[in-house]
This record gives sequence, C-alpha cells and structure tokens, in this order.
Amino acid sequence: MSDHNGKAAVRTEDVWKIYPQEPEPVEAVRGLTVEIATGDFAAMAGPSGSGKTTVLNLLGGLTRPTRGKIWVGGQDISELDDRDLARLRLEHIGFVFQAYNLLPVLSALENAEFTLLLRGVPGEERRARVKELFDQIGLEGLEDRKPSRLSGGQQQRVAVVRAVVGRPALVLADEPTANLDSVSSDALLDVMERLNRDLGTTFVFSTHDPRVMNRARRLIRLVDGRIERDERQGDSPSTP
Amino acid sequence: MKIKALLLLALRSVGRNTRRSALTAAAMALGLALLIFSRALADGGHEQWIDSAVRLGTGHVAIQAPEYLETGRLEHRLDASQVARVDSALQDVAVEPYIKTWAPRVTVTGLASSAASALPVRIEGVDPEREKIFSTLPDQLTEGEYLQPGDRLHAFIGSDLAERLNLKVGDRFVLTGQTASGDVEGQLMRVSGIFHTGIPEMDERLVHVPLETVRRWLGVPGAVTSVAVLLTSSRETDRVVRTLRAELDHTKGIRVLGWREASPELDSGVRIDDYGDYVFHTILFAIIALAILNAIMMSVLGRKREFGILQALGLTGAETGWVVLGEGLFLTIASGVAGMILGLIVTWGFFRHGIDFSSFSSEGWSASGGIINPVIVPVFRVGQLVLSVVSILVIGTLASLYPAFRASKLDVAEAMKFEQ
Repeated sequence: MSDHNGKAAVRTEDVWKIYPQEPEPVEAVRGLTVEIATGDFAAMAGPSGSGKTTVLNLLGGLTRPTRGKIWVGGQDISELDDRDLARLRLEHIGFVFQAYNLLPVLSALENAEFTLLLRGVPGEERRARVKELFDQIGLEGLEDRKPSRLSGGQQQRVAVVRAVVGRPALVLADEPTANLDSVSSDALLDVMERLNRDLGTTFVFSTHDPRVMNRARRLIRLVDGRIERDERQGDSPSTP
Repeated sequence: MKIKALLLLALRSVGRNTRRSALTAAAMALGLALLIFSRALADGGHEQWIDSAVRLGTGHVAIQAPEYLETGRLEHRLDASQVARVDSALQDVAVEPYIKTWAPRVTVTGLASSAASALPVRIEGVDPEREKIFSTLPDQLTEGEYLQPGDRLHAFIGSDLAERLNLKVGDRFVLTGQTASGDVEGQLMRVSGIFHTGIPEMDERLVHVPLETVRRWLGVPGAVTSVAVLLTSSRETDRVVRTLRAELDHTKGIRVLGWREASPELDSGVRIDDYGDYVFHTILFAIIALAILNAIMMSVLGRKREFGILQALGLTGAETGWVVLGEGLFLTIASGVAGMILGLIVTWGFFRHGIDFSSFSSEGWSASGGIINPVIVPVFRVGQLVLSVVSILVIGTLASLYPAFRASKLDVAEAMKFEQ
C-alpha cells in the first residue's frame, strides 16, 4: 500500500452508518460510494452534521460501517478485526485532528516519532526522519518542548509530521485548520501540500474552511450523509 | 518495541498530575508502612504473649504421658527411664539449637492448709535452677526469695494464697496430696517467697516446691508429669515437635505436644487476635485499593480523547488498557518501595526496643494464663514483609484493572468527540 502507483488509496461502496438512537435512528452516512486515488489531495466539505467526520472515521477504521464496504490500499477493511484494524492504522494511515492532537506527556519529538516507536523503528532512524521533517516545516529547535509550550499552529505541524513520518498511504485530517488563524492555516496547508507532492502521500480532509477547499485538488461536498457534488478543482464538476 | 512505547506512556502519565500521583502514592506508602508496623507489632505481641504463657505453663513443647493432658493425674506420668530418653532426645543436634532450656515438672492438685484456712492448690514440683531460666514466676517475687538448689521443704506461693492462709515468709503450712500408691499424705512446708502475678488463678492456687521433695513425698522417684521445653522462638515449635515425635514416637507412653495442643485456650486467644488483625488489614487494604481506584479512574475519565488518539495511532483497545494498568503498577511499585522503606524505618528505627503500653492499664497485663510484658517489641518476619508488599502490589493491580478495562473498551469515534 505504500507504493503510490496510481491505484485507489481508498474506495467505498454503498457505505451506510446508522446510529441507533431514540426516537429514530440517525443516518450519518447514506450510501457513500467514492474512490480517492493514490497521491490525491482531496477535501470533504459540508455543513455541520453532513457526515464529514463520520466518513473520515469510517475510512480510518475508527468506526465500522453499518453496511457497505471500504477498501484501503486494496484491502477490504470491513473484514478486519480490531487488532488488524489497529495494525492497518499504524502502518498505512496517518491522522490529524482539529485540536488536542498530541499526547501531553510526550515532547514534540516524542509525539512525532511515536508511531515509528510503535513500529519498532530504531531510535537513530526515528530521530533522523523526524528531524528532517521538523527542519522542512520550521519546527527545528522545538523538539524537546511539551505540547503545552507550543502554539496551536506548531502543535498541528507536529501532528502532521507524526501523521506522515511513517510514510503512510493515506493521511486523514479532520478539520486540521479549525483552531488556527489564517497565517498558521496557510503555513500548515503549505506543509501538507509539500509533503503530498514530495512524498506522494494521499491526503483526505474534512473541512468547512474555504482555504482548505481552495487548495484541494478534489472537493467532495457532503449534505446529510450523501455526496452532493464531487469535483476536480478546475475541472467541471461531476455528480455521482 | 510496542512495550517500550506503552511503558514510556505509562511512566510519563504517572507524572502528569504530580499532586494527585503524590497524594495517591503517599496514601499507599503510609498504608503499607502502617501495615508493616502493625504486623510487626502484632507478631511481636503474639510472640511475647506466647512466650509469657508458655513460660508459666506447658512450654512451647510439652512432653508427657499420653493421657496426662486430659486427666492431669499423677498415675499418668513419665518414669525415670522415659525421662532419660526424653533428656537424650532434647540433646539431639537436630533440635538442640532451637531449645533455650527445658524444665522437668511434677504437677498435682492438692490442698494447702494453715491454722487460718485450707484451699485447693496446684502443686508444681520444679527444678529451681532450670525454672529460674524457664519461668517468669521467680521474677514476680514480692517477698522473700525464690526456691534455691538444695532446698527441701521450701515453697514459693502466690500473694492471694498467702493472704487467705494468713502466711508470711518463714511461716509453715501443710500441703496434702494423693501419692502414687493412692494414699493421701501431707507434707510440711515453709514459705520461702511470695509472688504476685495479677492473675487470680495463679496468685491463689499455684505453689512451687522443689522437684525432689515432691518426688519423695508422692513416691515417684525420678518421674515427671511433664517436661516443658522452652524454644528460642515459637516459630520453631512445629519443627521441634516433628523431630521429637520422630525420635520418641517409637517409645510407648510418651506424647509430644506443641503449645497449640497443650494450651488450647492460648491457641484460641492468638487465633482470635489474628482474625482481628486480618479484619484491620482488610479494611486497610480496601482503603488503599479505593485510593488507587479513585486516582486512576479520575485520570482515565479525563483522558478519553487521548486514549482515542492512541487507538487512532495504532494501539489496540487492549494495549490502551495496558497503558492504564502500567500507570497503576508504576504508582503501586513506587508506593510499595516507599512504604516498605518507611515501614522499616518507623518500626526498626524508632521502635526496635519496643513500645511501652503500660500507661494504658494500671493492672498487670495478662492473657490466657500468661503475664504479658507491656513493652511490646515488634518482630520482623521476612515472610510477613514480603506478604505485605505483595499484597499491596496485588491490590494496586486489582484496583487498576477496572480503569484499564474501561480504557480498553473505549469507542474511539466517540472518544474523539470528547473535549479535554
């Protein structure tokens, strides 16, 4: 899955997510069928409650679909048990969340190298890989700082490094700029674009930030758990 | 490597809320220190209690004729040849290091009478030299002196008996008892000393007289009704009893009893006291467990989102649970080490010479027929120390299990909604 050779990084087929609630079940995602190519830089946009975060959770195996199938790098993750899902996340998926992304008891460096530590990468290699990315995105000198001593933008950049340092096939970013000012947001998007371009990592965002939508090469608009519009930026919009 | 990451997280998490961790650790450490101290004190108290009781009674080990414990009659005695075998057995290298001393005794019931009155008494023929080492009775002297080697017609009597018979040191009185042949014979005695133990049964009923005098008077030359053996520690009782039984069992007419069998009321007293200690320790354990449970639960409930992130990064639910369990274990181990050191310092450093409880009672301290020294010296037993520490570790582990289980069963998607 880590070879970015043009096949789908993630694909879903008629995926539903229904939460059993009183008085009526909530259909958070309704018949989602989508394919995101390896190396893409795609955003899922939509109003609150449109199902953006649920879709990201489904793609990342954090929650299971009520029905339908999801393939990540060609593997049907609907069939995987919890242990295999955890391994899939560790080895093939990176996450960036909108806030409180980092583990507060670890330093910036330790947070960034955490997934590599879990994967058993030797210490020297871990540090070298993190340091290279830190230098690229302006985090040099902040390695030993705890998250509480980093700004929101710096924290998000550490989270991005953590998400990509293991060279996953797919990075899922849930409203990564939601808590950032415009300067920090642009800087963070620059970083992610560069990593997408240089490493070929597939990025899928959930967002309602126009800056993210404008930068995405593909924009998928969700309304009430369905894809309302799926368009290539600059291309003519396609309707599913 | 995952283990390294889990341990790192667990260890760091202990230090996350320093005040909470320190308070929890302090509660646990103090609990363990209190446990070690109270256990050492209880063991010291028991050892002293047993020691006092057996010194005034049957010894840690009593060697008698098989029927004597039930009948207490002179006809159920060990003859001279049996006594010689017992002497030889007690000098065996397998038991000799554990024996402090032993005392041959002829004990019968009889009557003490003076011009003033007559009272039933327990007459104990003793070897004065051995008895001075063995028994604490000579130390309870209030007037006169204890029996001396070579004494023949001297008697050491209790203060209540002296008062009831209106006897003073130097006064004469008559002891009457049944001889081996079944006749009732009297023996004129002179009061050499008076003791006061504070135990009415002893002060009113016990009379020590020279062993040889009793043997001659009752017609049982060289015989004893019991050989009382005093050991270096009550803990050696089972070992010595086992060895002596193996050596003497083939000799018919000799029975070897440990103090628990020979003094069932003392055994019951110690057991009841032990149960009281267990109840106290159970309450202590419960408090410690609740302290850990509370600290870890508070920590877990406030970190749902963090656990969600851990699982998003690739930990399984079980591994997330291990982080929480590890946190509890680190806290428990640190508290266990601190508590053990504190317990040893408090117990050994400050109270190694004992704690004087005499101010709690103006009367003497007695229980189960023994006079207890009010200065209780704590006794350390490696087994008890290990048990206390292991118990704390087990309690810490058990108390961490539920929070760990909660963390492992987290719904990750739900947890990610949780604002910290």
